[in-house]
Amino acid sequence: MGQSIVYGIISLIICVAYFTLVDHFLMDMQGLDYWYLFRK
Amino acid sequence: MGLVTRKKLFSIMALCAMVGLLLLPIVMSLPSPAAGEEAPAADAAKKDGDKVEKGRDVYYKTEGIVVGAPAPKTTDGPKDYPRYNFESRVLLWFANQQHLYYGSFVLAVPIFCMVIEFMGVVTKDKALAKRYDQLAYDFIKISLTAYSLTAILGGILIFTFLTLYPAFFGYLSSIFRPVMHIYALMFVAESGTLYIYYYGWDKMKEGFLKWIHLSMSVILNVIGTLLMFLANSWIGFMMSPAGVDEQGRFLGNIWHVLHTALWNPLNVHRILGNMAFGGGVVAAYAAYKFLAAKTDEDRAHYDWMGYIAMALGVAFLIPLPFAGYWLMREVYAYRQQMGITLMGGLLAWLFIIQATMIGILFLSTNYYLWQAMGRMRGAEKYQRYIKYLVFLLACGFLVFITPHTMVMTPAELKAMGGQQHPVLGNYGVMSAKNGGINVIITTTVLSFVWYMRGNKVSTVSWAKFGNIFMGVFFACAYVNIIWLAIYGYYIPANVRVGLSVPQVATTLSCLFFMFALNSVMMKGAKQMGPIEWGKISARSQYALIMLATAFTWMMGLMGYIRSSVRLFWHVNEIMRDNSPWAYTHTVGFAANMISFNVLFFWISILFVFWLGSLTAKKVPVEAKAGVPGSAPQPAGSH
Repeated sequence: MGQSIVYGIISLIICVAYFTLVDHFLMDMQGLDYWYLFRK
Repeated sequence: MGLVTRKKLFSIMALCAMVGLLLLPIVMSLPSPAAGEEAPAADAAKKDGDKVEKGRDVYYKTEGIVVGAPAPKTTDGPKDYPRYNFESRVLLWFANQQHLYYGSFVLAVPIFCMVIEFMGVVTKDKALAKRYDQLAYDFIKISLTAYSLTAILGGILIFTFLTLYPAFFGYLSSIFRPVMHIYALMFVAESGTLYIYYYGWDKMKEGFLKWIHLSMSVILNVIGTLLMFLANSWIGFMMSPAGVDEQGRFLGNIWHVLHTALWNPLNVHRILGNMAFGGGVVAAYAAYKFLAAKTDEDRAHYDWMGYIAMALGVAFLIPLPFAGYWLMREVYAYRQQMGITLMGGLLAWLFIIQATMIGILFLSTNYYLWQAMGRMRGAEKYQRYIKYLVFLLACGFLVFITPHTMVMTPAELKAMGGQQHPVLGNYGVMSAKNGGINVIITTTVLSFVWYMRGNKVSTVSWAKFGNIFMGVFFACAYVNIIWLAIYGYYIPANVRVGLSVPQVATTLSCLFFMFALNSVMMKGAKQMGPIEWGKISARSQYALIMLATAFTWMMGLMGYIRSSVRLFWHVNEIMRDNSPWAYTHTVGFAANMISFNVLFFWISILFVFWLGSLTAKKVPVEAKAGVPGSAPQPAGSH
C-alpha cells in the first residue's frame, strides 16, 4: 500500500509537471501567455 | 536464365515502369510551373509590340502577366445554365457525392493493403503472416470492382458539369488546363499500377519479389494521394482562389493556383477522412459477412477482418477532428466571414448535426471495443469500470452537441430570458466543445488501451509503477483538458483560441505515450487466454455497420457544408453563380439529400460486394483450405 502511494505521488509530480509544460510552451509557441489570468 | 531470375527481372522492370508512370506527368508538367506560362505569352506580346497587361494576385498579392480570360459573367439562361426540368445543382450534387464516396474508398483501401501487407511481411509468425497477406488481398479485391465504378462515376460527373454548367466548367478548365492533363495521366498511372499490383499478387508472394510487390503498393498509394491532392486543388481554388487577379484572369503561375490558402488543410483532412471512411466500409462489409456466416471458421475470419478494418479506420478517425479544426482555423484566417457563416451563422445548425454524428462515431467505436473485450478471457476485470467511461463519453457528447442558440418562439424566448439558456448556453461555445471532444477522444484511447491489454498481465518488473503511472497520466490528462476548457471562459478570445493546441497535445500525448508504454509493458506478457475470434456478440457487428453508416452520412454532410459556404459564388469572390439555384437549401432538404446519397451508395456498394462474392465462389475448395481465420489465434497487434 505504502509503495503504491509513493508510486502515485511520483507519477502525479511527473504528470502535473509534464502537462503544465505542455500548456505553457504550446501557448508560448503561438505567442500567447498561458498565465494571462494570473498575471492580470 | 532461371525462372526465378526472370521473375525478379520482370518484377523490377514492372516497378521501374510504375516509377516511370508516376514521374511521367510530373516531368511533362515541369516546363509549365517552372517557367510559368507568362514567358511565351510575354515573348509573343513583345514580338507583336503589344502592351503587356499585368494583374495582381488576389491572394498572394504578387504581380503577374495576364495570360487567361476573365471569369465569365453568367446569366440565367440556356447558354450558361442549360437544364432539364429539374434542379441542376441536385443532379451535380448526386454525381459529385457518389464519385467522392467511391473515390475515397478506392484511395483508402490500397493504403490499408499496404499497411496490412507490410505487417504480413515483417511478422515472424508464418501463419499470421499468411493471414495478413490474405486479408490484404481480400481488401484489394473489393476495391478493384469499386475502382471501375469510380471511373464511371467520374465520367458521369464530368458530363454533368459539361452539360449543366458549361460556362463554369469552361472557366475552371481554362485555369487548371495543365493540372487536368496531369490528373488524367496520373489516373492512367494509377490504373496501370493497380492492375499490376493486383494480378501480380500470386506471382510475387515470397522473398525478394514480395518486397518488390510491397514497393508497388507504396507507388500505387503515392499516385493515389497525388491524384487526390490535385482534385483538392480545384475545390480549394473554388473556396479560396489564388493565382488569378480580381477579374479571375490567370496570371501564369500554376503553383499559386494549386497552392491556395485551404489546399493543405483540405489535403490533410481529406486523407484522414478517406482512411476512416474506407476502414468503416470494409468493417461494415466484414460485419455483414460475419452476420451471414454459416461456420465458426468464417465467423472467426470476418470478426478478425472487421476488427483490423475498424482499428485502422479509428486510427485515422482520432486525429480527424484536429485536422478539421485546423481547416476551420485556416478558413477563419482566410475570410473571417466565411468561418462565421460556417460555425456561427447560416450553416451553424449543420455543425450541430455534425457534432452529433462525430459523437455517434466515437460512441459506436467504444461500444464495439467493450463488446470485443468479451471474446478474450481476462478482460472481465475492466467490465466494472466501463460505466465510468460511459459517463465521461455521455458528458463530453452532451457538451459537444449543445447549440449556442436555439430557434424559439417569442414566448419561449421570453420564458428563457434570452437567446441563450442560462446554464446550457455556456456549453454552446468553442471552449466547452473543445473540452467535450477531447474528453471523448481520450476516453476512446483509454478503451483501446484496455482492449489491447484485455487478456494479458504484464510481467515486467516495474509493472506496478507502470500501471499506476498510466492511471495517473490519464486522470491528469482529463483534468488538464477540463481545466483548459474552463480557463477559456476567464480569458479574452484572442488568448482563448490558443488553448485548443495544448488540449489537442494532451489528447495526443495519451494516444502516443500510453500506447507506447502499454506496448512496452505488454511485451512478453502472460496471456490469460487466447482471443476467441468469432465469439463476439452480434450487437458489436451492428455497431460496426452503424460506424460506417454514420461516417458516410457525415462525409456527405461535411461535403455539403464545405460547398455551401461559397454561398452564391462558383468561385469565391471571382465568379458569381447566377443560376436560379444560387441559394442555400434548408437543413431538412439537405438532410434528405444526404440520406438519399448515403442510401444510394450503400445499395450500390452492396452490389459491388455481391460481385466480389461471385469471384470468391469460383475459388476451388482446396485453395480455400488455407484461408486465414480457420483457427482462432491472437493477432500480433494486441
